[in-house]
Amino acid sequence: MNLNLQKWQNSSKVLFFIAPLMIPLITFWLVPFGWSVYISFTDWDYISPDYYFVGLENYQYMLEDGDFIQAMQNTFIFALGVVIPTVMIGLVFALLLHNNFKGSQFYRAVIFSPWITPTVAISIVWSWVFESKSGLVNLLLDKVGIAPIPWLESGDTAMFAVMVVTVWQAVSWTMLFYISALNKIPTSLYEASLIDGCSPWTRFYKITLPLISPTTFFLVIVNMITAIQAFDQFQILTQGGPSGSTRTLLYLFYQQAFEQYDMGPAAATSLIILLITGALTIANTVMGKRWVYY
Amino acid sequence: MSTMDTLAIPAKNTHKVVINEASRKQGINTTKPVKANSTTQLERVLERGFKTTLKHGFLLMSGLLMVFPFIWMLSGSLKSNDEIFTNPLMIIPSTFNWQSFVDAFNSAPFGLYIINSFSVALFTTLLVIINSAMFAYAITQLKFKSKTFLYFVVMGCYMLPGAVTYIPSYITLARLGLLDSHMGLILSNAASVFGVFYLRQVFLKIHPSLIEAARIDGAGELKILWKIILPQCKAALATLFLITFITNYNSYMWPSLVITSQELNLIATGIRQFFIAEGNYGLNWSQIMAASTIAVLPLLVLFILCQKTILTGITNDNGVKE
Repeated sequence: MNLNLQKWQNSSKVLFFIAPLMIPLITFWLVPFGWSVYISFTDWDYISPDYYFVGLENYQYMLEDGDFIQAMQNTFIFALGVVIPTVMIGLVFALLLHNNFKGSQFYRAVIFSPWITPTVAISIVWSWVFESKSGLVNLLLDKVGIAPIPWLESGDTAMFAVMVVTVWQAVSWTMLFYISALNKIPTSLYEASLIDGCSPWTRFYKITLPLISPTTFFLVIVNMITAIQAFDQFQILTQGGPSGSTRTLLYLFYQQAFEQYDMGPAAATSLIILLITGALTIANTVMGKRWVYY
Repeated sequence: MSTMDTLAIPAKNTHKVVINEASRKQGINTTKPVKANSTTQLERVLERGFKTTLKHGFLLMSGLLMVFPFIWMLSGSLKSNDEIFTNPLMIIPSTFNWQSFVDAFNSAPFGLYIINSFSVALFTTLLVIINSAMFAYAITQLKFKSKTFLYFVVMGCYMLPGAVTYIPSYITLARLGLLDSHMGLILSNAASVFGVFYLRQVFLKIHPSLIEAARIDGAGELKILWKIILPQCKAALATLFLITFITNYNSYMWPSLVITSQELNLIATGIRQFFIAEGNYGLNWSQIMAASTIAVLPLLVLFILCQKTILTGITNDNGVKE
C-alpha cells in the first residue's frame, strides 16, 4: 500500500515534468506523423467529407509523374548546388577568422548578419537585384557590355539565382561551426609540423583537413537537410517556376496540398521528403563521431 | 595564404632575433651577417604586412559583398521611385527621401505586423524554454523506466520535416477552433526538439552533489529546477532564448498557412502580401525596399545588441557534443 503510494507519487511527479512538452509534441508532431502516413494511402481532397483508401496508388503514381520526377531532380541539384559552395566558402572564412585579431569579431558579425534576417524580406531585396530590367546584376552586366539575362524568368538561370541567395544566407552559420572546429585542433600539432618544416599547404592537407572532417561531414548533412526544406526564397523569387524548373519536393508538396487540395498525393510527397531527411540524419548519427546538433 | 602563415611567422622571427642577439653578445664583428639578416627580417616584416593587408582586403571585400543587399535595400528605400530608374547605380541618393517609409506604413499596417511577430515569437519562446527545461530536468535528474526511450522519441522528431506534419496539424488546429489565431501558432510551435537537446547537454554538466544536497534539505523538484539549476545556466538560457526567438520571428511557411486575417499577419507574411499586391511589383521598388527595411531592421538591431551571445552560443561547447 505504502509502496504503491510512493510509486504513484513518483510517476505523477515525472508526468508533471514531461507533460508540458509531450502534449504539444504528441498533438503537433507524433500524431500528425501517423496521420500523414494514413492520408498518403487515400485520395482525400480536403473539401469532401468522404474519401477512398487507395493503398499505394499515390506512390505508384509518383514514379510515372513528370512533375514529381522533375521536383526530385531539382531538389538534388539545389541541395548539391547549395551545400558545396556553402561548405567551401564557410571554410575559407573560418580559416581567415578563427584566430582572434583586431577586427575579427567585426568581420564575423558582418558575415553573420544575413542569417539573422527574415528570408522572406531578404529574398524580396534579391528579387530586385535579379530583376531583368532594372536589377543590379543586369545593370552591372550592361556596364561590361553583356546583354541582360532574365535571371528569374528563365528556366536555365532561375535555379542558379535561388542558389546564390541561399548560399549567401547559409555561409555564416557554416563558418561559425568551422571556427569552433579549427579552434579545437591542438596547437602542438602545428608546432610539430613547423619543426618538420612543412609547407602551409601540406599542413592544411595533412593536419587541418583530416581533423575537421567530422565537422565537414556534419555540415554537409545538415546543410543538405536545410536545403531540402528550403521554401521561403522559392516562394518569393520563383514560385517554383518558370514551368517547374525550380519546383523542389517541398514546393511540390505545398502546391499539391494547399493550392490543389490533393491531400493524398501531398502527404505521399511529404513522406518522401521524410525518407530523404531521415536517411541523412541516420547517416549523420551513425557516421559522425561527434554528434553535433542544430 | 591561410591564417597558419601568420601563426608561423612570429615563431620564425623570434628565432632570428635570438640569433642576432647571441652574435652581438659574443662581440664578434658581425656587420655583414647582421646586414644580411636585417634585410631578410625587413623582408619578412614587409611580407607579413603584405599578407595582413591582403587578408584584411579580402575580408573587407567579402564583408561588403555579404552586407551589400542590405546597403542596396537601404539605398533603394531612401531614393525616390524616379531616381531608382534614372540613376540606378548611385548608392547614395541625391536627397534622402523618407517619404517611402511613411507611404509604406500608410499602405500596410507594418507596425502591427511587427508587434504580432514579436508577441508570437516571445510567447512561443517562453513556452519552449519552460517545457524544454522541465523535460530536460526529468530526463537528467529524475529516475523512471522509460527515460531513454522517451528521449529517443523526442530526438527522433528532429527528423520530421515540417511538411509531414503540416496537413494533420492544420486539421487539428481547425478542429480546436485555433485556426487563424495567434494561440494556434504558439501552441503548435511550443515543442522544440532543439530546446530539449540543448538544455539536456547543459543540465548534464551540473554537479549532482548540488542537487543531492538540495534534496536532503527537503527542496521540491520544481524548486531545485528553479532555484538551483536554472540560475547556473543563465548564459545557455539566453542563447536558447535568442535562437528560438529569431527562428520564430523569421518563420514564414507555417504561419502563412495558419493565419488568414490581415490584422493577425506576422511580418514575413505581411511583407510578402505587400510585395505581390497589385501595382507594387516592378513599379514601386522604393516602397518595397522601405517595407523590407522595416522587417529586417528590428532583427539587425537585436543582433548588434546581442551578437556575442548569439555568435558564441551557437558554437560553444554547450551546443556541440563530442
